[in-house]
Parts: sequence; structure tokens; C-alpha cells
Amino acid sequence: MSSPAVSLYLDPQIRDWVLFPITLVMILVGILRHYVVLLLQSPPKKLPKAAIREQRALSRSQILRATSANSPIPPSYYRSISSRLHTAFEAGTYLKDGPPQGDAPSTPANPMTDPAAMDGMMAGMKTQMVMMVPQMVIMGWINFFFQGFVLIKLPFPLTLGFKSMLQRGIETHDMDVRWVSSLSWYFLNFFGLNGLYRLILGNDNSAADTSQAMMSSPFAGTNQPGQPQDYVKLFKAEKDNLAFSEGLYLWLGDDVETRLLRKYSKL
Amino acid sequence: MLASLPSALQTLANYRIHNTRASKEVVDKGKVLLDAQAASSLGDDAWAFLEQLTLAAIDVANYEVADECLRQLAAQFPGSPRVDVLSGIRMEATQPPEIALKFYDELLETDSSNAAIYKRRISVLIRIGKIEQAVTELSDYLDTFYTDVEGWVELAELYSSCNQYTSATRALSHALLLAPQNPFYVLQFAETAYTADDIPLAIKMFMLALDIIDRHASEESIPTGVSIRAWYGVKLCCRALSERSCSSASDTLLPKNLPLLDELSTERVLTAYSAAGKDNATGRELVLSWMGPSDRSGGRLHFVR
Repeated sequence: MSSPAVSLYLDPQIRDWVLFPITLVMILVGILRHYVVLLLQSPPKKLPKAAIREQRALSRSQILRATSANSPIPPSYYRSISSRLHTAFEAGTYLKDGPPQGDAPSTPANPMTDPAAMDGMMAGMKTQMVMMVPQMVIMGWINFFFQGFVLIKLPFPLTLGFKSMLQRGIETHDMDVRWVSSLSWYFLNFFGLNGLYRLILGNDNSAADTSQAMMSSPFAGTNQPGQPQDYVKLFKAEKDNLAFSEGLYLWLGDDVETRLLRKYSKL
Repeated sequence: MLASLPSALQTLANYRIHNTRASKEVVDKGKVLLDAQAASSLGDDAWAFLEQLTLAAIDVANYEVADECLRQLAAQFPGSPRVDVLSGIRMEATQPPEIALKFYDELLETDSSNAAIYKRRISVLIRIGKIEQAVTELSDYLDTFYTDVEGWVELAELYSSCNQYTSATRALSHALLLAPQNPFYVLQFAETAYTADDIPLAIKMFMLALDIIDRHASEESIPTGVSIRAWYGVKLCCRALSERSCSSASDTLLPKNLPLLDELSTERVLTAYSAAGKDNATGRELVLSWMGPSDRSGGRLHFVR
């Protein structure tokens, strides 16, 4: 009420026919998207046994290494497991397709040629499309029908810096920052509805993470699960790690009698 | 009748959480629930309940209940690997093992990543006495599913049953790596090493087990349970070491201060028996007479104190 002269009077029709519909449409589209994503999700592909073996071979040596500084197993046992893993990594026993033949250069498989990786990427793309298309449609709808609409007045004052955030689509210099334009209202909803989705759909929904998903390109997100890892290289690195931890190795049993005798004050 | 339903459900849920194998009770309570169609009011818990009831019913050979549960589960989850395992177990109960094995083979052909099926297959093989094949398959299984501690312990037991104690300790060493905090595996390792006549290794492992079990013990505390067993182990190893020269297949060094260890283990075992009430008076006498000769032969051990 600082300057009643510039105060605007908003038609209540704007509230009923623009503000509420935009909000409602965005909520409903979010919920719809959640269910469409659920429908699109194919069940996780089952890995053949050889692939699981390849995937888990690394964890074997990680488990061995994890305790190497205070190992529960005696030296001869540790060395035999360690050297066995070492030779297996060297010979590529754990590789899905068996040990590499000859000395052909090991290149990571092209994801476009591997049907399994392709499937994963397609699934990711589909989800991304479901995320993006509705948002673009809503934005077009708002831009087309409600361009330049002022929808609400925030009940608190803000500094000028918020002008570009709250009054997108209205090119006036003099209007109070508290007025929010239609396009800005869309963006506020877009980023602000996550909490509501979480409330309606539960924590693990696919509607809430739109903002994060929108930022990333459709390829970046999908690569994590579907990326073919170059196990030849990983195994090579793990071999060195094994050698390191063998240097660190110390058996817990080395001085256990001293510890016990001390505890019962015999020493 | 209806009033008892919630409490019955509660009990059953408790059994599920604690993995209690009270099959008789589960079937008695579950049958009422099944007849009352109470499962539908459970929501998603209903399926866990049905699975529990199936296993319990097979346990007590109540096959009608088991079949009814299986029918409901199969209708809800067609092609589920978990239901496949259940129907496999049901098959094992009444059909000859060859048919069950064949069933499992077929399942593995379509999906070679189902760990539970491998385990069922191996358990059938053990039951019909094909230990050699079971050991081969179990090793193969563990090569892929390395983190299955129970699998390693089972392998160790299989080896032990064929007197392959060194191989058994090798299998147990993997269990130790996977669960270094579990004293029971350490104890089992120690006892297996003792049986394999690797006394230096055995005494070390017995002491390691004690190190874990008696973390908070002091001179005054009384050894109980596993702890007594481990102290007995130390005592036995000390005696064996003092009586003959023991070689170690694993090149384990003998512990230092053996006489002190002998003294300590004797003391601990005796504490365990003298502190307990009158009810094990006979046990105490037996222990005392068993300990006796070794104490009198103290001269041979050159006790420091």
C-alpha cells in the first residue's frame, strides 16, 4: 500500500480462468506423467550368469582388500586367494566372453551395436520424452493464450533482482516486483510442485524429479546403467590394487596371544 | 474368532521378521486366516504371508494348504522366480528328487541368474547323497555369487563331511572375509583346523575368536557359551603342543608364551565351571579331573609363575 496510485486491480476472472487452471493442469500433468512413466518402464533385464560373474568379480577383490590391513585370515590363505584373483584378472578368466583371444586391441563395445545397451538407452529416451513433451506443450499453451498476463501479487515485497524471475514475458520497468506474470507462474510451479507430488504419489515417484531430469540431456542420464564398462581395463587396475593391499596385509592373529594375555593381566 | 485375527497376523509377522521356523503354529494360525479370507485385508503383506504359510505347510506335510497358497500366489505373480522356487520346494516334498532336479534345470535354462534355484538344486543333490556333484555345483555357484556367506559355510561343511578339512578351512576363510565380525565362523575355522591337525593355526584362530567374543570381558567376568568352547579349544591346543611336536600345513608360527596361555585357558575354563550353580557339579568334577593331569605336569611346561 506504499503507492496506491500504481496499484493494479486484477480481474477475479483471471484468478478463476488462468491462475487456477495453470496450476491444476500442471499438477494433473505431473501425476499423469508419473503413471505414463510407470507404464513405459520395462522390467529390468535379466543378466545371464556369466555377466553377473563378470560384474561381481571386482567386488571379490574389493572384499579381500577391505580387510587386508587387519585381515581375519592367515597369511597363506590370504596369499592364495590374492594370487588366484591376480592370475584370474590377468588371464581374463572372469570376462563374460572368456579370456581375450590373441592381442587384439580391446576397444569398448559401441553402445549403438550392442542391443542390450540400445534397449537401455531407448528406455531412457522414452522417459525423457515423457518428461519434456508435456512441459513444452504447457509452455506453448501459456505463451499462446496468456502471454503478458499478470496473475497474482505476492504478499511480501521483493528486491528488483527478482524482476526477471517473476515477470518473465512482461517488459515493463516500473511495475512492482510483487506482480507475477503467467510464464513466471509456470516456472514457479514447475520447480515448486515437487513437494506436492511427493505428498500425492509417495517418495519414489517419477513426476517429482522433472526439474533434475530436464537439466540433463537425454543421453547423460541413461548412460549410468546402460554404459558398457570396459572390464579388461578395470581388472587391470584392480590387479595393481591387489598388489598394494598385499603389501599392507597384516594378520590379526599375529599378536593375538599378547593381546589376550594382556587383557587377563598375565603379561 | 474374528477378534483373534489381528493378533494372529501380528504373531505371523513377527515370525517372518525373526525368521522363526515355528511351522506348526504358522499353519494352525495361517489356516484360520486363509479360511477367513483375511489375506485380502492385508494388502501387500498378504503375499509374504502366503509364502510363509506355503513353506510352513510343506514343513508339516499339510499339502492341501500349501497347494492353495501356491495357487493364489501363482495367480498373482505369474512367472515370478520366487513362486518358481516355492513350487520347486513343493515338488521336492512329494515327487522323486530327479523330477525336482529336472524342474530346476528347466528354470535355470530360461534364467541363469536365479541364485535361489541354484541353492535349491544343490540342497537336493546333498539330500540324495551326490556330495561330489553338490560340491562342484556349489563352488561354481559361489564363483558367481561370491557374497553368499551361508554358501561358503555350507561348502565347508560338505568338505568336512568328506574329511577334506584343509579345503574346508579354505572355504571358511572366504566366509571370514565376508563376515569378519562373526565369532562363530572363526570358531568353526579353528575347530576345522584342529581337526586337520594344524594345531598352531587352530590355537591362533581360537584366540582370535576369543578376541571377538570377549571384547568386553575382564579377569572377573565368567566365560559363557561360545567363549567356554573357545577356551577349551585353546586348552586342547596347548596340551597337544606340549605333548608332541606339531607341524603346521599353513606355516603358522607358534604363539609366544605358550605356558602362560595354558595357564590362562585352564583358569578360564575352571572359572566358567566353578562360578555356575550347583546344577553342574558333576560337570565341574569331570573338568577338574580332566584338567588335573596337565596341571600336575606343570613341571614339563615350565610355568613362569
